[in-house]
Amino acid sequence: MLHLLWLIPAFPLASFVVLATLGKRMPRKMVPVFGAGSIGLSAVVTSLVGFSFLTSPPPGNSFTQVLWTWIDVGGFRPDIAFYLDALSLVMVLVVTFVGFLIHFYSAEYMGEDEGYSRFFAYMNLFVASMCTLLLGANLLLLFLGWEGVGVCSYLLIGFWYRKPENGLAARKAFIVTRVGDTAMTLGLFLLFDKLGTLNIQDLMHQALVQWPVGSTLPVVAGLLLLGGAVGKSAQLPLQTWLPDAMAGPTPTSALIHAATMVTAGVYLIARTHVLFSIAPQAQLAVAIVGAATLILAGFSAITQSDIKRVLAYSTVSQIGYMFLALGVGAWSAAIFHFMTHAFFKALLFLGAGVIIESLHHEQDIFKMGGLRKEMPVAFWTFLAGACSLAGLPLITAGFYSKGLIIWDTWSSTRGSSVLWVAAVLGVLLTSLYTFRLIFLVFFGEMKTKVHKRPGFAMMMPCVVLAVLSVVGGFVDTPEFLGNIHSFSDFMHLALPPITERPLRGMTEIGSEALVTLVFLIGLGVSYLLFIKRRDLAEAITAPAIAKALHRFWYTDWGMDWLYERVFVRPIVWIARVDKSDFIDYIYSGIALITELLYHGVRRTENGRMRWYAAGIAAGSIIFLTIVLFL
Amino acid sequence: MVLWPFVVFFFVVLLVPAGMIVLSHVLGQRHSEHATGSPYEAGIVSEGSAEVRFSIKFYLIAMFFVVFDLEAVFIVSWAVAAREVGWAGYLEILFFTIILVATLAYLWRLGALDWGPKTRRKTR
Amino acid sequence: MNGTDLTAVLPLLILTVAAVVVMVAVCIRRSHLLAVWLTLAGLAGAFVSLWTVATVAPIQVTPLLVIDGYALFYMGLIIAATFVTVILAYGYMEKQQAYREELYVLILTAALGSAVMVASNHFVSFFLGLEVLSVALYAMNAYLCNRKLPLEAGIKYLVLAAVSAAFLLFGMALIYAQLGTLQFGQIASMLIGGVSYDKTLIYPGLALMITGIGFKLAVVPFHMWTPDVYEGAPAPVAAFVATVSKGGMVALLLRYFYETGAYRLHSVFLVFSIIAIASMIAGNLLALLQNNVKRILAYSSIAHLGYMLVAFLAGGDRAAEAVTFYLVAYFVTTLGTFGVVSVLSNGERDADSMDDYEGLFWRRPILAGVFTLMLLSLAGIPLTAGFVGKFFLIAAGTSASLYGLIFTLVVTSVVGLFYYLRIIVAIYKTPAEVVTTVPAALPALSRSGNLALAGLTVLLVWIGVYPGPMLDVIQHAVSTLRIF
Repeated sequence: MLHLLWLIPAFPLASFVVLATLGKRMPRKMVPVFGAGSIGLSAVVTSLVGFSFLTSPPPGNSFTQVLWTWIDVGGFRPDIAFYLDALSLVMVLVVTFVGFLIHFYSAEYMGEDEGYSRFFAYMNLFVASMCTLLLGANLLLLFLGWEGVGVCSYLLIGFWYRKPENGLAARKAFIVTRVGDTAMTLGLFLLFDKLGTLNIQDLMHQALVQWPVGSTLPVVAGLLLLGGAVGKSAQLPLQTWLPDAMAGPTPTSALIHAATMVTAGVYLIARTHVLFSIAPQAQLAVAIVGAATLILAGFSAITQSDIKRVLAYSTVSQIGYMFLALGVGAWSAAIFHFMTHAFFKALLFLGAGVIIESLHHEQDIFKMGGLRKEMPVAFWTFLAGACSLAGLPLITAGFYSKGLIIWDTWSSTRGSSVLWVAAVLGVLLTSLYTFRLIFLVFFGEMKTKVHKRPGFAMMMPCVVLAVLSVVGGFVDTPEFLGNIHSFSDFMHLALPPITERPLRGMTEIGSEALVTLVFLIGLGVSYLLFIKRRDLAEAITAPAIAKALHRFWYTDWGMDWLYERVFVRPIVWIARVDKSDFIDYIYSGIALITELLYHGVRRTENGRMRWYAAGIAAGSIIFLTIVLFL
Repeated sequence: MVLWPFVVFFFVVLLVPAGMIVLSHVLGQRHSEHATGSPYEAGIVSEGSAEVRFSIKFYLIAMFFVVFDLEAVFIVSWAVAAREVGWAGYLEILFFTIILVATLAYLWRLGALDWGPKTRRKTR
Repeated sequence: MNGTDLTAVLPLLILTVAAVVVMVAVCIRRSHLLAVWLTLAGLAGAFVSLWTVATVAPIQVTPLLVIDGYALFYMGLIIAATFVTVILAYGYMEKQQAYREELYVLILTAALGSAVMVASNHFVSFFLGLEVLSVALYAMNAYLCNRKLPLEAGIKYLVLAAVSAAFLLFGMALIYAQLGTLQFGQIASMLIGGVSYDKTLIYPGLALMITGIGFKLAVVPFHMWTPDVYEGAPAPVAAFVATVSKGGMVALLLRYFYETGAYRLHSVFLVFSIIAIASMIAGNLLALLQNNVKRILAYSSIAHLGYMLVAFLAGGDRAAEAVTFYLVAYFVTTLGTFGVVSVLSNGERDADSMDDYEGLFWRRPILAGVFTLMLLSLAGIPLTAGFVGKFFLIAAGTSASLYGLIFTLVVTSVVGLFYYLRIIVAIYKTPAEVVTTVPAALPALSRSGNLALAGLTVLLVWIGVYPGPMLDVIQHAVSTLRIF
């Protein structure tokens, strides 16, 4: 059964080819059959593979499928091979299942769009690339997938390319992630150069053998990889592209910019965890990046007015949690949170899509309100996702995954109390912005009329994801709540458990209780400001200093402003000044010379046969001279 | 290798005809009457063009003749050595002749042997 | 001549019989489809017979022909290319107002000539094969004799090929005069084997032979006929000239110079280096601003032969493999590009102007995609056959430290990229940008041509992505070459 592995990326890829070539000619109804059906098949294959992996684990708890050798030159011999272990299995499962639900949803959501088949083609290509990224056994395939998802992200952000600002957003996403990609490419080259293999597992093994803990090379390599991860996963300081990426269709935001692609950075670090474990400084950097991001993005989320931007900042913040977990060595907690986050964030985006669609494409939350009665199913599913995001204690998945991260931050040898405080503060912020969103959108008076209600294809995925957002956390619970560790145990087949330090002053139950308390504070403040005393909210933001602060957070801590001045404008300026620099003269000179040469040699082709014959004779004479006299 | 006689010879070859042309140009008499340019200065003035078109058929038949005549050479050369080459040679010349006959049949069918303007079949 | 010998030359016999059968069929019933089917059947038969022949190979049949793995591989290549040409020619000729069926007799004859060349290790069979090929090509070039350009192409090719054949014969005569043998193997033992000989006869002999060979390969300075002939000849015929005719000569070049050891002579090396460098530079420069697609392809073929010579000069098994692999890639892409041209051509003219391709993507997206792929392969972009081929060429050149040649190869490839991209840019111009008025009615595409193109595209990508199996076959074939 494991040998079906290659089919997982193959189905979406094949469907992409079909849709890209024949999409415009096939009947409209056939498009989602291919588009969503291929992902469904992938999901089925994934579950078959996963079932076989669980029931009869392969030796070493990993399975490598070598399809063929791409090229064999000297020592360079990359295989086209897929590698399956607990880590990639969980990620691929989430990608294909959530991916399928989102494709299913899109069949209705994008139904009226003229680029229907184009949309599915891109989405399928994305899933194929993502699976390649996750399953690739060597750096080459990993890189192929990494770049593939980047391209798809670019194409889908700019999907409605007639609007110039969408094109700009797509370009921004591509360029900003490219900054990270460059760092990552350097890191990959460094690894390949120093350790001499492309195979990731061999690479990790070699790293462990050759490099002592804390030496310079692994730290440099780790930091370079972190650069790539930061770009792709929209972490500080490269997070600015993600909110703008919301210009794409909402299913895209759900799949690519919330559930899957943006967690590629998490996967990259988890996949190379051996490297980070011998580079403590780099790992600490991961933790700091995560902690800082989750707080900064949380503040930004509080001030946003566009529903999708709130969710985008929330995504940045939640991935910050995953990075924090990676940084403290809580590998399985990071993947756990990745999974639950994929469920509830995809759900929230799909719910947001439902709301936007039914309100004439209104995205401003201050123009929404009172939708609780109007759209009960949307409300309850959205609420389930939101509670999971904010970590409503005991019954939501988010509570368990986030709780685990926070506790591990405290208890790991690589954690610290500062990081722990940051994580707890994050809970407060999350709870604040989440319930602000809920209260503004679903409670209060209705400001925009509902003009259209979503059909089955759009609501079914929401319901399924809502169920998953609630029960998805029960696979791993703390000691005092059933003490289930099936997820962690499974992850430990591929990733090491955390190393606990001697505990002082805190117990797991205490930590969870504090988290609950903080959550309740956030909920309460939110209720006070956005339901009970709206005037109070206005009073708070009235003073000049508060206004400035609001503005500051609203613009993402002025990051865009800063980058615009520090990077974009100088570069554009240099480019403008240097429009025709002397290096260009060299190139245009070469072009000019070749052109002149062309006009010279062209004269030899004058169409006269006698001239041609003379050419043959002259050539012979020259060669005769050469062989006789040289 | 002694090269100089060759060089001398080369230049002599160039000089002799050049000298002839130059000398005749310098020494020769020149006149320019109104009939100087015509082919027969003292004859009947010629009429029409010398470039008369012959029917393409002549060329075609001539070419067939050359081709088949040449093939006959091969048969003759076999006939001379017929005993020595034995049955293998006989088979070879047989195949050769068969191909020749097939070619002839093809040409016949194509109308290439017909001596008349309208017998060629239309294309298609 | 016994049974085994006859088995060994089975492919040649089948091709001969097929030519005669098609001719007889034409005089019994003039049907285009029938002629094509008979031709294809003959070619398929010849191709299948290669496996039968493989059981008796390697074998020397008469002093003239050697049937070894190398010859069989090249015969297969030639027969396959001819097969594709015939399919392309069918769709192309259907649109023409002329006798169509004789073309296939000529194609079969030419393929026979080329197949003889690849199996020859004797001057006589070499020359016989060359002439069988050439004579058929004269007529093929001028086949559409109611148009002006094909006639011009035919005449030019006739005269110049005759000139070059004379040079070739003279060269052979000089070598024979000195060494007294026409057999490659015996030449080798004398040339390299320490027998003293007069260089003033042998070297000019080799140089004059290079003239004859260079003409067929269309390398500088014997290249000038190429653009005129490619432009004039009907597109499928041009494809044939570019592939089968050149392929046969490349095979012979390798066998002749490797088996006689002549490639080791310093002056031969020098002459070929000059030819290679001049071909790469001139071919790419000439194509630069050219507006006729067929002429561009002609110039690019000059450059490609120059590239092949780089690996040829490296010498040895690896070099022969590299050249052969490159030739396979070149066959696929050249047939593909000319295939697109012939599919787009109509009964009045060939689609060879750049204007014919402007905005092609918006009219025929799939065809445009195929053409793009073929051009990218010619330019040597990764994931296409052309890239892998070029890679092997450079690898072979580097292993022999031919850095000057490699440098020229790389630099001129960059120049080459320009004109391939020019066509691609034209293809993807949006309809709004297309200034010239394109005829509103598009020519109906022939299904057979599309089929051939689809096959070629698959092959192109397959060889580009997964060259392993093809490389194995080539290695196996080339290993039978007795490199002296």
